[in-house]
Amino acid sequence: MIPYIHLGKSAFADFRRNKTRSLLTALGITIGVFSVVVLISLGLGLKNYIQQQFESLGANLIIVLPGSGFGGQGFGQGLIGGAKFDEKDVVDLKRVPNVDFITPAFMKSTFAEEGGEKFAVTLLGIDTDAFKLMNLELLTGKEFSRSDNEARAKNVVIGYSLSENLFEAPQRALGKSVAIEGGRYKVTGVVKKKGDNEVDNGVFVPYKTTFSSLNPDKTFFAIHLGTEEKENVEGVKKGAEEVLLRRYDEDDFTVSEQSELLGTFNQIFSVINIVLVAIASISLIVGGIGIMNIMYATVTERTKEVGIRRAVGATQDDILVQFLSEAVILSSLGGVLGLILAGLVVLIIRFFFPASMNILSVVAAITISSAIGIFFGVFPARRAAKLPPIEAIRYE
Amino acid sequence: MIKLQNVKKTYLLGDEEVHAVDNVSLEIKAKEYVSILGSSGSGKSTLMYLIGLLEQPSSGKIILDGKDVSALSDSQLSKIRNLNVGFVFQSFNLINKFTVFENVILPVKYAKEKLDFDPEARAEELLKKFGIEGRRNFFPNKISGGQQQRVAIARALMMSPKILLADEPTGNLDSKTGVDILNILESLNKDFGVTVVLVTHEHDVAKRTKRQIYIKDGKLVGKYL
Repeated sequence: MIPYIHLGKSAFADFRRNKTRSLLTALGITIGVFSVVVLISLGLGLKNYIQQQFESLGANLIIVLPGSGFGGQGFGQGLIGGAKFDEKDVVDLKRVPNVDFITPAFMKSTFAEEGGEKFAVTLLGIDTDAFKLMNLELLTGKEFSRSDNEARAKNVVIGYSLSENLFEAPQRALGKSVAIEGGRYKVTGVVKKKGDNEVDNGVFVPYKTTFSSLNPDKTFFAIHLGTEEKENVEGVKKGAEEVLLRRYDEDDFTVSEQSELLGTFNQIFSVINIVLVAIASISLIVGGIGIMNIMYATVTERTKEVGIRRAVGATQDDILVQFLSEAVILSSLGGVLGLILAGLVVLIIRFFFPASMNILSVVAAITISSAIGIFFGVFPARRAAKLPPIEAIRYE
Repeated sequence: MIKLQNVKKTYLLGDEEVHAVDNVSLEIKAKEYVSILGSSGSGKSTLMYLIGLLEQPSSGKIILDGKDVSALSDSQLSKIRNLNVGFVFQSFNLINKFTVFENVILPVKYAKEKLDFDPEARAEELLKKFGIEGRRNFFPNKISGGQQQRVAIARALMMSPKILLADEPTGNLDSKTGVDILNILESLNKDFGVTVVLVTHEHDVAKRTKRQIYIKDGKLVGKYL
C-alpha cells in the first residue's frame, strides 16, 4: 500500500498544476451537495414548523374536515370535494357524548382597513369555545360572548401583529373599529403573540356575524371538537362519525385527531421532500460525470507518469489506488465546500423560516460525495492501471 | 544473475506480427558491465525492458537468481522490479510535479516490505554523491539535462538494485555531459559492484563496457553490422 501522505501530496501537486480545471470539476459536486443539503434542511424545517403549529393547538382536539381527506384518496381531492358543513352539523355534533367544546370554523383570506391602510388578514368565523380549543389567549380586552354570536354583533378579536399594524399598539386597538369588506367591526380584544402568521394577522369574528355578508352560504370549512379527558377522544371521534354518516357519505368527511393529522402532514411533506431531493441528486450525478471526464483526461496526460511509476515498482493496484484517491479527494473537497455553503445559506434562511441542518445531512453529504468519487473515478483509474508500462513510458 | 532462454517478444502491428525480440538467449552475470548495441528499431530497448521485467516475454524463460520469473503476476514482478532493478532513460523520465528529492525517493513509496535503511538519509547521500544536493528542492524542469540524468541515476539506485539498466543515457546530452554520465555508470560498476547494462546505438559508448551484445532485427548477432 502506498503511503497516504504520498497519495495526498501527489493529488494536490496535480490540482495545483490544473487549478481552474480542478476547481470547476469540484464545483459540479459542490452544487449537487449544496442543493441536496439545503433541500433536506428546508424539509426538516417544514416538519418542525408543522409540529410546532400543531403543538400550539389545544389538547384533545378532534377536527372534522370535508372530503375523504388526508387518509384515503389523496390530499387534493379531500380539500376540493366533500361535505359543506352547516349549523345543523354543529348542533348534531354538540349532542355527541363528552363533547365539551365545539366550534365551527369559517375561514377566509381578506383585507382589513383602517385610516386608509389595508392589510391582508385571515378571517375566522368561530364560536367562543374556539378560544379554548385553539389556545387563543387574550393579551388585552375580552373575548366576544355567546350572546354576541347569537345577536350577530359586529365585535371582533384581532391578532397581535394586526393590532400593531392598524393601531400601533394592542392596547390602543380596544374599542376602535376596523373595516372588512365594507362592514365595520369593533375590536374587543387582542390575542397574545403566537408566532403563527394566521393567528397574529387574524380577525376572529362570531360565526353567526359572518352569515350576513362574509359567509352568505352559511357553511364551514371545518368543525373543531374538544373533550376534557384524553380517554374520551376515541369515543368522541366514533360518535361524531356516526352522527355525520346520517347526513353524508363516508367519503364526504373525515374526523381526525390532532396527532393523526400531524402524521398525515408529515407523511405528505416527507414525500414531497424526497422527490425534491431526488431531483437535486441528478446534479450530483452530473457532477460525477464531470469528475469522470476530467479523470480520463488526467490519465491520458499523465500516461508517462504512470509508466515511470510502474518502472520503479508500482503495481497495477498502486496506480488504481492513486487515481481513485485523486477522484475521491476532488469530489470530497467539492462536497465539503457544498456543505459549508449550504450551512451558510441555511443560517440565512433561518431568519425567515425554521430550516434546520442535522448531523444526518452532514454525514450523507460527505459519504455521497466520496462515493461519487469512487464510482466515477474507478473507470478512469482502471484505464490508468491497465496501461502497458512500456507504451506508457514511451508516451510523449 | 539473470538469464534469458529462447526469449521471444512479438507485437501485433495491425495484422502483421513483429518479432521485436526473436529467440534470444543470453546471461548477464553479477557485477558485469555490459552494453547492448543495435541500431534504431533493432529491438534493443525491448530486450532491455525484458531484462528489467517491465515487459513479459511472448515465449521463453527469464531466470533471475535461479528462479523463473517469466510467468509471475503483475504484483510479484512489480515487487522484484522495485527491489532489484533500476532504470535510467534517455529522456530522464523524472516526474515534473515532484522536486528532485521527491523524485529520488519515489521507489520507496512502492516498497512492499519494511526497509532496512533510512530512505531520507539514503536519498540525501545519493544526491551528495552525484553533486546535486544543492538542487534538492528544485523541480526537474529547473535544472540542466546533466543534473536531471544524475537525479534519474540516484532514483535508480535508491533501493540498491542488483542491476542498473540504462537506455541511451547520453542520448539527450551534449558530449561532455554524456561522458560525465558514462563515468558515473562506470564508477558504479567498478567501485560499487553494481551490475550495469547499457543500451546504445553508439559504438564509442559501447566500447567502454567490458562486453558488448549486438542485436539486429531482434536477433543476437556475432558482431555489429
